[in-house]
Amino acid sequence: MHDLADYEARGIATVMVASSEFVGAAHKQAEALGLPELATRAVYVPHPIQDASDEEMRAKARGAVDAIVQALTAPAARP
Amino acid sequence: MSATLSTGTPAPPFLLQTLHGGGEDGVRSPATDPATLLFFFKHDCPTCDFVAPLVGRLSKLLGGAGLRSVAVSQSDSATSSAFVAKHELAIPVVLDQELSASEAYAFDAVPCLVLISGEGRILRAFQGFGREDFLALAADAARTCGAAVPPLEQAGERWPENRPGCDSRVHDPEIAQRLAVRRGAARLSARRVHVPEAEDPFEFFAALGIDDGLPVVPPTEARVVRMLEGTKRSPSEVVALVPPNLAPATVEKIAINAVMAGCRPEYLPVVIAALEAACTDEFNLHGVLATTYFPTPVIVVNGPIRHEIGIQCAGNVFGQGFRANATIGRAVQLVVRNLGGGKPGEVDMATLGQPGKFTCCIGENEEESPWEPLHVERGFRREQNTVTLFAGEAPRAILDQTSRSARSLATSMGLCLESVAHPKFHGYGEVMLVVCPEHCRTLEADGWSKADLRRRIQEATSRPLGQCLPDAECAEGLPLQALPRDLLGQDGRPKPETLALPLAKFRRDEDILIVVAGARAGKFSAVLGGWVGGKMGSEAVTREIMA
Amino acid sequence: MGRRKNGVGGGDTRDHGLRDDRPRGRVAAVGNSDRMILDPTAEHRPLRRPLSVRGSSLRGPIGLVDIAKARGDVFLDELEALLRLRAPSEQIIRLRKPTFTKPAPRSLRDEIAQRCRVVIQALAD
Repeated sequence: MHDLADYEARGIATVMVASSEFVGAAHKQAEALGLPELATRAVYVPHPIQDASDEEMRAKARGAVDAIVQALTAPAARP
Repeated sequence: MSATLSTGTPAPPFLLQTLHGGGEDGVRSPATDPATLLFFFKHDCPTCDFVAPLVGRLSKLLGGAGLRSVAVSQSDSATSSAFVAKHELAIPVVLDQELSASEAYAFDAVPCLVLISGEGRILRAFQGFGREDFLALAADAARTCGAAVPPLEQAGERWPENRPGCDSRVHDPEIAQRLAVRRGAARLSARRVHVPEAEDPFEFFAALGIDDGLPVVPPTEARVVRMLEGTKRSPSEVVALVPPNLAPATVEKIAINAVMAGCRPEYLPVVIAALEAACTDEFNLHGVLATTYFPTPVIVVNGPIRHEIGIQCAGNVFGQGFRANATIGRAVQLVVRNLGGGKPGEVDMATLGQPGKFTCCIGENEEESPWEPLHVERGFRREQNTVTLFAGEAPRAILDQTSRSARSLATSMGLCLESVAHPKFHGYGEVMLVVCPEHCRTLEADGWSKADLRRRIQEATSRPLGQCLPDAECAEGLPLQALPRDLLGQDGRPKPETLALPLAKFRRDEDILIVVAGARAGKFSAVLGGWVGGKMGSEAVTREIMA
Repeated sequence: MGRRKNGVGGGDTRDHGLRDDRPRGRVAAVGNSDRMILDPTAEHRPLRRPLSVRGSSLRGPIGLVDIAKARGDVFLDELEALLRLRAPSEQIIRLRKPTFTKPAPRSLRDEIAQRCRVVIQALAD
């Protein structure tokens, strides 16, 4: 997430894709960077990842693409 | 020998990366080996060079009997490797570059040898090299492992009786500072936020919305630790509950905001006292914040602390240029904003506001005053340090360059004070009159006390009640409910005979707070109008500044 | 550095022993402390900076960054194909971090920042 904070600071819209197991850690890390929205706008795909077959992974991508595009185009809240 | 290394004390546990990566070693709790020998060293210490082979020898002789030896290096990986290779040291070596283990063992010099029992207690420790010390340690190690004492001095070797070591790296000036910060920082419980590498910390802060529009000093751990040295109080102590959110202001949180404001550590006790005063029911900070009117917490400092920390009392005292004045007032404002949640457009509803809401802190010029200072008048001793918080407007000019008598000057002041808020508003609450030194001389020459001054101001501002009421020319004026009951007739309007009654500007003489400040040259005093008084309003509050 | 006599420790005024009152999870690294700041607020909400401004439609170059965890490449292959269908005129750039265990090296971050308008980073687990 450090990387994404760097890109956001340079004016680049980002989105992180992570497994659903990662939600808690994502929020902690994002808050520690002053960018809690990196976690709230992240796209979480269903666990498991390691054991998933190729076809299962592709299905996860199909399930996630709308949210990914949304995260990159929906207006960000102003403070 | 320090207390840490006394015989019998528990050996601090630690685990550090081994020199060749891929593992950790150190002292575990509970201990698992019959005996452990620690050899703390620096690569460039000649005495460590001397001791290293002896440690290797001892480890070889007693290793089989259960002595586990670990060399702990304060140097980096490359120089440690070279040292180990030079001495063909066959024992595990760990890297203590951050000096956490060295600090825990609290020794001043390397080499430092520490022998630890199977129960995890220090058996023997010494720094530098001493022939007797080393032999005694070897004997203890052997005894603990149930082995015979091995012969250590080889034929032809001549060990020096004593040989001094070198300073442990914890004493390097640069490192000592960082370690102090680490120790201090460990006591701080505030949430940490990490400024990403590519970002300017000042811009990062500006984007967070926790400043007052001017840049703030980023509150790093080092700065907050240093700020906390300005007080004896514990960082976790709660000083006040800050309106409007009634969030607890701990000493730590106040210190963080004080760093942001640009305070020096010696200003911190003043900031703390100001917050104690501001968060009282009497001061009514919530009301002061939430009003559409103008007030800001005006901070007046009294006592010797003014000169000790450089609080300006003389020229341009309400203006720019004095760090203590500027940053103390600002720190209080930042705490209200960041802890209390009082922000413009939210709870802070001020229509126009005023520049004093950035900062307003002055010292009373007690030395130029012919009278007792503000805090003495309010019940403190002259040598006590105090802050007085007053909910005030921005200063307005009182010009009198001509009066030669006290009575004439006081009359001028009264005439100027009458227009506080609105000339027709009589029976007003508190006001702060700031008398400049030249005006003090005029009043002093005629022997006028503060009471005399107040009385003349009240006389000079007196106007008939009838002129204070709303009329055809000017709809503003005293509302009927502000008038004493007995002045009103059956119809709820003032009885005709009361219309000529003189009404002084201020409800009570004591509502006129008098402070002396400013430069010696200039016949200009000032008035700071207050907000509303009474239960719904704010009253000035004085608090002692404690270390 | 000065020399010290062995066995003479002098007055020990420092804390000793391991401190167990550190905030949990915090690594006692001294090095990074210039970049670590303390929260001045009451901590009811996280400190928040705004995200960068979003464009109303997906415009490239779109960076797809593989963080080098297993299976991420399969996910990103499919995502790339889906995005090409959605935004056929937009350039898509595939990039890969050397390791997921730390932030991308400075040179890679600079390259990504220069070449991409938006970045999708996958797949953390």
